[in-house]
Amino acid sequence: MIGVLRNPANGRQTLESAAAIKGRSLWDDAGRRLMRNRAAVAGMAVLALLLTAAILGPMLIPFRYDQIGKNDVWDLPLVGGHLLGTDSLGRDLLARLLIGLRVSLAIGVVATAVSLVIGVAWGATAGYVGGQLDELMMRIVDVLYSLPFIFFVILLMVTFGRSLIILFLAIGAVEWLTMSRIVRGQTVALKQKEFIEAARAAGLTTPAIIARHIIPNLLGPVVIYVTLTIPSVILAESFLSFLGMGVQEPLTSLGTLIANGAEERDLAPWLLIFPSVVMVAALMSFNFIGDGLRDAIDPKDR
Amino acid sequence: MGVSEPSRRRCGPSPNPPLEDRAGPNPPQGRYAPLRGDPEVGSSLTRVQPGAKGWLWILVTGRVSFGGEARPDACGRGWPRKPPRSLKPTRLQWSDWLALALLLALLLTLAACGPKPAIRGPCPAGKLCLEYGNSAEPESLDPSKSSGTWETHINGDLMEGLTQDDAEGRPIPGMAKSWTVSPDGLTWTFHLREAKWSDGVPVTADDFAYSLRRVLSPAQASEYAALIYVIKNAEAVNEGRLPPSALGVEAPDPHTLVINLEHPAPYLPELAKHDIMMPTPRHVVERWGDAWSQPAHYVSNGPYRLAEWAFGDHVRVVKNPLYYNAASVCFDQVTYYPTVDSVEAERRVRRGELDVNTDIQSNRIAFLRQPDQIPAYVRTHTWLGVVYVAFNTRDVPALKDKRVRLALDMAIDRDFIAYKLLRGGQTPAYTFVPPGVADYAAPAPPAWASWSLAKRQQAARDLLAQAGFGPGHPLRLEFKHRNTADPMLFTPAIQADWKDIGVRVDLAQEEPQIAYQDYRLRNFQLADASWIADYNDPVTFLNLMQSSTGAQNYGDYHNPAFDALLAKADEEPDPKRRAAYLAQAESIMLNDAAVAPVYFLINKDLVNPRITGWADNIVDWHRSRLLCVKGR
Repeated sequence: MIGVLRNPANGRQTLESAAAIKGRSLWDDAGRRLMRNRAAVAGMAVLALLLTAAILGPMLIPFRYDQIGKNDVWDLPLVGGHLLGTDSLGRDLLARLLIGLRVSLAIGVVATAVSLVIGVAWGATAGYVGGQLDELMMRIVDVLYSLPFIFFVILLMVTFGRSLIILFLAIGAVEWLTMSRIVRGQTVALKQKEFIEAARAAGLTTPAIIARHIIPNLLGPVVIYVTLTIPSVILAESFLSFLGMGVQEPLTSLGTLIANGAEERDLAPWLLIFPSVVMVAALMSFNFIGDGLRDAIDPKDR
Repeated sequence: MGVSEPSRRRCGPSPNPPLEDRAGPNPPQGRYAPLRGDPEVGSSLTRVQPGAKGWLWILVTGRVSFGGEARPDACGRGWPRKPPRSLKPTRLQWSDWLALALLLALLLTLAACGPKPAIRGPCPAGKLCLEYGNSAEPESLDPSKSSGTWETHINGDLMEGLTQDDAEGRPIPGMAKSWTVSPDGLTWTFHLREAKWSDGVPVTADDFAYSLRRVLSPAQASEYAALIYVIKNAEAVNEGRLPPSALGVEAPDPHTLVINLEHPAPYLPELAKHDIMMPTPRHVVERWGDAWSQPAHYVSNGPYRLAEWAFGDHVRVVKNPLYYNAASVCFDQVTYYPTVDSVEAERRVRRGELDVNTDIQSNRIAFLRQPDQIPAYVRTHTWLGVVYVAFNTRDVPALKDKRVRLALDMAIDRDFIAYKLLRGGQTPAYTFVPPGVADYAAPAPPAWASWSLAKRQQAARDLLAQAGFGPGHPLRLEFKHRNTADPMLFTPAIQADWKDIGVRVDLAQEEPQIAYQDYRLRNFQLADASWIADYNDPVTFLNLMQSSTGAQNYGDYHNPAFDALLAKADEEPDPKRRAAYLAQAESIMLNDAAVAPVYFLINKDLVNPRITGWADNIVDWHRSRLLCVKGR
């Protein structure tokens, strides 16, 4: 520990600083490093702002996202109380943007959570148990990997009908593959560590070891991967919406808004500009946070 | 990205090879650690941020390489001379931001300034090729299975019926040089010209008789069969009550075709150019069965023959040298693209990739007509067509209730859709048969048509309440619609109108040909459909609601009084009285809210002004054989 015994000549001061200094955990260190990363901090600030806007915004706006303004078709921004203008049906773009952001973030978070649960359980089990089971489980992952992602999602949507829940599940069910591979790799490495051996010697069962010792130690890489998965899920949803397979009117998402905006870009450019800016801001924030976390948490990369 | 192939150097005694030797062309020294010789390059998760110079290097050379930690190279010598800086936690510095901003600016400039070069389809040297945006993918190229305008566009170029379209879409002699009608109007004798199929076999009257019997055979299940029930015994044959040989069609010799009718039909020459009456090559169909319409077997008698069909991408036809009038055909090749997204198609027309697109998103028409846009390309004209909402009365219990249908019908704000949303010249529809149809006076629209929207909404809510739906028990339905430009615009408006009267509707979009397939199979609850006149007569619209129509009566509307009036009109020789019967039938159908008419269509085509021979007309048929290029 820095500070302790720095000045052996002055015993009193040494004692004082020793009392004042608490031990710092690895997480404290990581947090500190993260806070020093300007891009990540900016990302967190922007994301906090977007989240607040997505959650509270729609309640503070005088327009509903599906409210058609029959005399307000293609209002310019700031006309008629519409801060960001209106679309071809006279619907307030700000209200739609906030709802779209909410839907996109929700899809990002929920689908990532689905991928997290499946991926961590699968990877940790395969990695820890090892042997034939590991082989089998990872070959299943390989097989699923070989399915084209979008094709698989479209197939699910066609089979089970179009609904937001299916969209969540479909994307999550595909995104867990990489997660399980990362987790498995880490688990195989952790398995050799002494504390696991100690736990085994103490007579803990395999599920207990996985839950209590393996998974908490996986947190670092998992957190990093999660922050990087959310934006890729948001992009995947946007892509599906672009193809008309995503959320259905009048509900919207960032991808749908951008798709519509791109159609009308020469008549109503604000319909493309504002959603794109928000989308870029959200994706960049997530990626900066993910990058920052990776640098902060993974000690091997320093 | 051109990362050069890792070259493993032998670990020799050479203590200090020159710098260039180690890593090929060297990027400027900076925070850059290219371990080119290291087979593990790129395997690490870390990426070292290139500095400003590095970004410039990437911009100039297009080379990107990722370095990792300072690692000894394959020979155990530490390579990077200045590694430590790159090993700090990644953090973008101002110079990186500057470089990023420059890069973005460059990309944006490239995207904005560089007009995309036109990428036209392949065209043999010295030939004239027409690139045709056809708005949807055909379901089949067998004319007996065609039902969409986009299929007729292709069929009309490949096949020629007894009559064919002139530039105005009026019937002129086609395979039939001339025809005579018996005094009672029931027997038509067509005299065929000498003509050949594209495989050299002569076209005979028997081909026509054969294909009419085929179209009407129950096994063929043509959705358009009801259109030619005017032919003697056609309905009975189609329903399997009489054998195909009982059909009132004879071919006494190879060049004479006699058609006997159930009742006089002065519009027969118009019907005769329709897909359903186009000939099919008997010798090919009998050999290949349904597969005859595959490009490998397809044989045509029109100005073009089928060259290829890349499903979902394009259909290509080339000039048929055996066509009797081949010398007059200007374009050597026509390629049809399924341009569902008409805004994208509009951009392709602007770039010169497409010469024609058969649709324009309505709310862009005024914009495109501005002098600095492409006013000369925009072609609009009155069209005999109506857009309507069909109610599935067969499978959806709520929609069997006339009050519910009427409530949904009344709640649609047609003025908004026609004048504010689409604003392309469409007119609100409260009746079903479009204005301008020959020999017809439409019935007065329902009384509620003149009410204010608020009053209509109140009446609709009352009707729903009577039918047992209200705030406590809301009506929930699915509204299936085509994903082409205009339906994508107006269906959310209708959805919102229905929400205002407390009806929750989910939208489900589909490609047009899939949507219509679903409608015919009754695989829908509410459907957005449009109907274009097959010939200039009110019956082409009204018979959609006839019990005997079958698949194309999407909602399975059934009213004996309506059927009886239509049957009476068929028998009525006096045009005035016939029109009165039909108007009476239409008002029965409107009062029943058999469908909810939304607006009357206009036809809107985007045509490159260098194309000649394109005449705007009421049926919107423009055959490729009549088109040419300026100066040819």
